[in-house]
Amino acid sequence: MQLIILFGVLVSTYLMVIAKRIPALIRGFRYQSFCLFLVTFFIALHEHELDLFIVAGLLFILKVSLIPFLLYRIVRRIKVNEDLGLFINAQLSLLFALGFTYLSWVFTMYLIGPGNERFGIILAVAFFIVLAGLFLMIFRMTALAQIVGLLVMENGLFLLASTISGGMPFFVEIAIFFDVFVSILIMGFFVYRINKLFTHIDVNKLSRLRG
Amino acid sequence: MEIFFILGIPVLLAIGAALIRNLKIAGMFNSIGYLLILILSIVLLKKVPLSEGVESHFGFIYLDTLSVFFIFVISVVAFAASLYSISYIKKDLEKGIISQRKAKIYYILFNFFCLSMLFVPSVNNMGILWVAIEMTTLISAFLVGFYNTKESVEAAWKYIIICSVGIILALLGTILFYFAFSFSGGIKSLNWSDMVMSAGKMDKNILKIAFIFIVVGYGTKAGLAPMHTWLPDAHSQAVSPISALLSGVLLKTAIYAILRFGIIIIKAVGFAFFGKIMILFGVVSLVISAGFIIVQKDLKRLLAYSSIEHIGIIAIGFGLGNVLGVIGALLHVFNHAVTKSLMFFGAGNIVSVYKKHNMNSIRGVIKVLPFTGIMLLLGTFALTGFPPFSIFISEIIILIGAFLNGSYLIAGLMLLFLAVIFSAFIYHFGKMLFGNLPKDMVKVQEPLSGKIAFLFLFFQICALGLVIPFIKKDLIWIAQKLFQG
Repeated sequence: MQLIILFGVLVSTYLMVIAKRIPALIRGFRYQSFCLFLVTFFIALHEHELDLFIVAGLLFILKVSLIPFLLYRIVRRIKVNEDLGLFINAQLSLLFALGFTYLSWVFTMYLIGPGNERFGIILAVAFFIVLAGLFLMIFRMTALAQIVGLLVMENGLFLLASTISGGMPFFVEIAIFFDVFVSILIMGFFVYRINKLFTHIDVNKLSRLRG
Repeated sequence: MEIFFILGIPVLLAIGAALIRNLKIAGMFNSIGYLLILILSIVLLKKVPLSEGVESHFGFIYLDTLSVFFIFVISVVAFAASLYSISYIKKDLEKGIISQRKAKIYYILFNFFCLSMLFVPSVNNMGILWVAIEMTTLISAFLVGFYNTKESVEAAWKYIIICSVGIILALLGTILFYFAFSFSGGIKSLNWSDMVMSAGKMDKNILKIAFIFIVVGYGTKAGLAPMHTWLPDAHSQAVSPISALLSGVLLKTAIYAILRFGIIIIKAVGFAFFGKIMILFGVVSLVISAGFIIVQKDLKRLLAYSSIEHIGIIAIGFGLGNVLGVIGALLHVFNHAVTKSLMFFGAGNIVSVYKKHNMNSIRGVIKVLPFTGIMLLLGTFALTGFPPFSIFISEIIILIGAFLNGSYLIAGLMLLFLAVIFSAFIYHFGKMLFGNLPKDMVKVQEPLSGKIAFLFLFFQICALGLVIPFIKKDLIWIAQKLFQG
């Protein structure tokens, strides 16, 4: 069961990497968060811990519902061109993503050594998501894509933290959720400002400060 | 108990700033609050025993000499910045650059920014420390983009994005530390005081990788090159008192985080690994900043690059790891904080009178702003490490440490680039301070609260040489203890 969900996480990440328009990217993020929610929920069912149920609930409320809703709202309100401004085209991006998948597998094997492949798969997927998020942040030129990239990286870390020894201490987890939510609000605010001042959200064209 | 007040006062001040209508009174109220915090931090400095850390409030707060020292540095610069803010914000308000409401928002954000910075050295939990550092970014992004110009919003965006990526990598490092800790059979805890106890039992491979993530992550926030690209933009676009806080202490809070993990890694895998990484980043920062300082045209960017240089020197000092290196680096944390704040205040005064950042159109500062000019002249000498001032003392201690360590190459590189930076600074500031006055400039009256801030900082710059002989033993003790445990 867990492996199927992990496969879902992987597929949703590939979908985001090849997405050409902002709504598709946000949808991919939503699928990914939903898969993460399922992972956490099943761990919680398995271990019968209240803390994990709360974390799963928060994940659902924030990352599956609220944050995608906010992002869609920003897209609608700023009425900007919905193209992502790919720096690297979709096919090449997919190749990169496959490379990252392999890379994170090698890295995981180096980290924990052969013998516990089952655990290794989860770890490798987590590292892959972090790398994919970084990739999105660097090679997609709109401000919104960078926000989504950051969220993807954070999702990867969440998977990492929840698989190794059943998650971080509870209040740290809550604090990180709160922090992510606040940072998305603030970044959204700045996206509005950029759009107002520059009439676009193409980060590549922000080049007044040099040297 | 003191720490409770130190963290509580900024909250009260923020509420006060929201309620008080008269801005002058709000500013004074603010300064008095930070004076109180400064006094409390000195009391704390005396009270926390040298020998060990103290856990309190259910293990949430952990204070040892290192953290108390950083709290002290933060409160010194915060007090000076609060004094300087009074006149600076008043001037902006009179010129109509900002509205009454925005001035109020400034004071509220100022307090939350200081609160989040004061939080960093006080918490025990490494996860909460991460949250606190991320909070400093989020709050100060508003203060960077405060004037809402194209430049400042661009700087704020770069700042928030680059630092968030950095900090996410730091979170990855923290999780890996936690992984190694729970793998070693430890309890489910992210508390530093627990982790450091079982440092010896953790998996060395994982720790090494985790520490690289930590240094790259928090190093982004600390402004270590080559992750520094956000820094000159953000520091040059922020409101001047905030530039002082960003350069003076925000960078140091990230250094503090690196040190905390560094202590664990030193206990687990030995010193060489930590030392090599710190020296590598330190030297790269020094080299890159020297290049940019020579060709710089913008006054505040010049000072920002100089911060990268000094962070590099601090990293080298800690990377050397012998007693002198560590003492020098600790002193340098303080010296750079006060000196750089003074320079940013001076730059703020210049920019608000000349209305330009470009150094080519700033001439004859000493005639227009006599007091600021003289302070900047002395500050330039202090910042570049001229003998009677404190930065000279800490730099020479680090250099002696390098020579004693046998790291002649590092000492040589450091001397070379310090000399280059010195000459570049004298060249830039010489032209600005003494050049021919532009035609339409007249002498400007300088406000009292700004002058007090300058004198307060200048006193700190000079006083260190006198204080050192009295605290020499404590310093050596701390330096020995810090990395050897």
